[in-house]
Amino acid sequence: MSEKKIIKTTCKSCHGGCGVLVTVENGTIIHIEGNPDTPTLGTMCSKGLSSIQHINHPDRLKYPLKRTGKRGEGKWQRISWDEALDTIESKMKESIEKYGPSSIAVSQGTGRGYNRYTHRLARSIGTANIITPGYICHSPRLGMYGLVTGYGRLYCDYHGWGGEFPKTQISWAKQLEISSADSEMAVWFLNSLKHVKNLIVIDPRETALSSRATLWLQIRPGTDAALALGMINIIINEGLWDKEFVDNWTYGFDKLKERVQEYTPEKVAEITWLKKEDIIKAARLFAEDTPGCIQVGSSLERQANCGQTVRSIICLLGVTGNIERPGSMMSWIVPDSGLLEEFFQELPLTDEMRKGIVGSETYRMGAARTAHSDSVVKQLVNGDSVVKVWFSVGGQQILHLANTQEVLQAIHNVDFLVHADQFMGPMAEHADILLPAAHWLEMDDIYNMHPRFMIEAINKTVDPPGEAWPDNKIFNEVGRRMAPDLWFENVEKMLDYTVRKANITWKDFSKMGVLAKIGKDQIYYKYKTDYWKKGGGFPAPTGKFEFFSTVLEDMGYDALPYFQEPGESPVSTPELAKEYPLVLSTGYRQPFYFLSQYRNIPWLRSFQKDPVVQIHPDTAKEYGIEDGDWAWIESPRGRIKQKARLFPGIHPKVIMATANCFNPEEPGPLHGLLTSNPNVLTSNDHCDPMFGSPDLTALLCKVYKVE
Amino acid sequence: MRWGMAVDLTQCVRCYACVAACRIEHFLPMGMSWPRLVAMETGGDSPTVSTYSVRCNQCQNAPCVEVCPTGATYQREDGIVVIDQDKCVGCRYCIIACPYQNRTFLSKDKDKGFFPGRVETDFEKAGKKLYRHQVGTTEKCNFCVERIDAGLAKGLKPGVDREATPACVNTCPAQALTFGDLDDPNSEISRLIKEKNGFQLHPEYDTDPSVYFIDGKIGYSDEPELRDDSRQEPASAGAER
Repeated sequence: MSEKKIIKTTCKSCHGGCGVLVTVENGTIIHIEGNPDTPTLGTMCSKGLSSIQHINHPDRLKYPLKRTGKRGEGKWQRISWDEALDTIESKMKESIEKYGPSSIAVSQGTGRGYNRYTHRLARSIGTANIITPGYICHSPRLGMYGLVTGYGRLYCDYHGWGGEFPKTQISWAKQLEISSADSEMAVWFLNSLKHVKNLIVIDPRETALSSRATLWLQIRPGTDAALALGMINIIINEGLWDKEFVDNWTYGFDKLKERVQEYTPEKVAEITWLKKEDIIKAARLFAEDTPGCIQVGSSLERQANCGQTVRSIICLLGVTGNIERPGSMMSWIVPDSGLLEEFFQELPLTDEMRKGIVGSETYRMGAARTAHSDSVVKQLVNGDSVVKVWFSVGGQQILHLANTQEVLQAIHNVDFLVHADQFMGPMAEHADILLPAAHWLEMDDIYNMHPRFMIEAINKTVDPPGEAWPDNKIFNEVGRRMAPDLWFENVEKMLDYTVRKANITWKDFSKMGVLAKIGKDQIYYKYKTDYWKKGGGFPAPTGKFEFFSTVLEDMGYDALPYFQEPGESPVSTPELAKEYPLVLSTGYRQPFYFLSQYRNIPWLRSFQKDPVVQIHPDTAKEYGIEDGDWAWIESPRGRIKQKARLFPGIHPKVIMATANCFNPEEPGPLHGLLTSNPNVLTSNDHCDPMFGSPDLTALLCKVYKVE
Repeated sequence: MRWGMAVDLTQCVRCYACVAACRIEHFLPMGMSWPRLVAMETGGDSPTVSTYSVRCNQCQNAPCVEVCPTGATYQREDGIVVIDQDKCVGCRYCIIACPYQNRTFLSKDKDKGFFPGRVETDFEKAGKKLYRHQVGTTEKCNFCVERIDAGLAKGLKPGVDREATPACVNTCPAQALTFGDLDDPNSEISRLIKEKNGFQLHPEYDTDPSVYFIDGKIGYSDEPELRDDSRQEPASAGAER
């Protein structure tokens, strides 16, 4: 007898979390579509829909494996989960005994609802050496927003719950429309554009939205802080700032006013390659047509001046009063389940953990509760590594960290590497123990992509292949062996624990699908209430929104924002620019890939087979490159090749390479990593003084045709 | 009654969701794509690239219907052009006749499976039972006629009720696709085309497509001028970007 059912679940093919309806007939998925009764209104993108080709993919990892040959040689032996877990336990315990708990590193890819497991596992073992891509994606914002809201979040209010939609929107180094990143959803953003008066796009190249925007600022990569400070200069000097907000609720306005005087429109135009008139226009639109919000992209955090760039943008929001006002930047009230991050925050960082964090002395904002990845790499290369055992789930540090050649050397020097993944990629190839992971269609879990106003249920629709396990089970089982008191009898009990504050069980939540605080449940203008501070105010030391940051001052950082040239640029390294005359950004993303994922999914690969570099037609002509040619892109670190796409929408002095590339079909262990991944070109030598973020999206290069 | 679609290029973000949703909805063979994204370079002093989400235009004066020797391609009362796979002999006259290149011949090499020579997935096996694709015939977008017919039979309204609306329209994260009755002046699609100057591709061919496009500025900016080049059509054979 045929059995057909529709299962409600949540997609995590990217950061987003779209509601999904999956039709399963006799154990086979025959249809996937968006769930209209969720906050994402039944929409889904090509990545989530193509999950159908994930299920039954012949290359899925099905069983735990142990390495039998040399590292990266590709010789494996199937083992049981018991053997895998026993080995992991004994290696970790041995390392702790010999070198202390900080010798264990736990790493993850981009946070997709499993951050809390990574952090809890690390802390329960006694280490805070957590290697995450956070410092090049969202953490600098969280750190800087934290100085304003206490818990580190400011979101664009696209929802109109307070009666107003943003009138002026700035999309800054971001393509939210194709990414649903950093807790915002493409569908919410795009809906809000129906109400927008001015859309300002700041991007070195034209996008689907920039060509139709009110104003498009084709900025030089890496100079965004100068633009923000220039806009503040105009707003203050023209008397356009929000007097009520600034007078009553801020600290250090006069000092900021003094600081921005050096960022005149003329000077900023010269730094940023923008027209002075456009900078003035952007400043006036944002100050006059309020409320407004700024969608900040992680490209800004892939630059070694990111801390101050983000600070500058926050100050721009402050002078325009675009904080906590309906249609501006909000910190949402979380659902009744509480902040899911409490799942790991309830295990506090000890002094010993803090002391053991690699890079914590240098990068005191970024490496305060996680390791500085590039310092881990440098130590491993130098042979004086604190980290000996590396437990890696999901992400491929080998791809996303700067300077691939060094990272590769570092990975070879790790004493013991465990990696959990769905497929055999460059990171998996270098593991000692390889664990097979389940897809989101194959697991029960609770999803929140950072604490926004809702959590969502991921409900299992089919069994994983072979003996693949969901991430939460892998973490729980390793946790139970390493710190039995701090982990759970089984995954269901762990999920019950996660939603306990809402007085529900996992089974209840599984049926509910979404738990949210929306509409009237949200509180605007929290600083005018007792929410953060009795009598009103912000959760900062002065009780005000701090233009002059007393926290940063105490830490010995500049308390006021400033602009610094990227480590490599036509201005900071003019001699180098003679040999490498073009500005290189590695920020190009396609809507059908997600970071390093999905180049092995046939439907998605059909949209674009080869990694593409965008070059202006005039520049291409100068270097003898035609559309469709393979082009070498060379920096002082090395060279890669990508296919040239002549694109009149990019600045002639900038080229944009596709990020995070490898070709799954090419032979291991590297799968074409060294010939296509732009991090072969990037540098880990100059990093942001606060967060340690390296320059990935603002460097120098030259291009020439592959003969 | 004439079903039509409007593609709002000010909303479309070129994400390929429409293509993926169609592939699932109709269990399309690996080498087959009914909707496509077609990129073209605009002209003028500052040329750039734009991309159009295109599919069969369901023309009212459809050249494909005229040239079909067997009557396999025909137009329904509601304006949708469909292909009867039992009557199609694979002569491909229609492919040559379609000025928009929106028809594809399903050859053997386009029907190799997701993972040729390795595994036939459960989804593909199920698809073979649930949706017919006949190698040697021609295929194209049918406006999800199955959803429309089943929806209408239940008293639902295509373009309003999800169950009766094409899959690509439902999934679009940008909500850039609008479906409805072009003959009804009060339908959302008719209003949109009127208010936002919807245009058909290559009107000079005199085929009267049922798919319209909308372009212009985002926002209600006080600068009223629209881009002069905003109403250009894509080159008929643009490279897919």
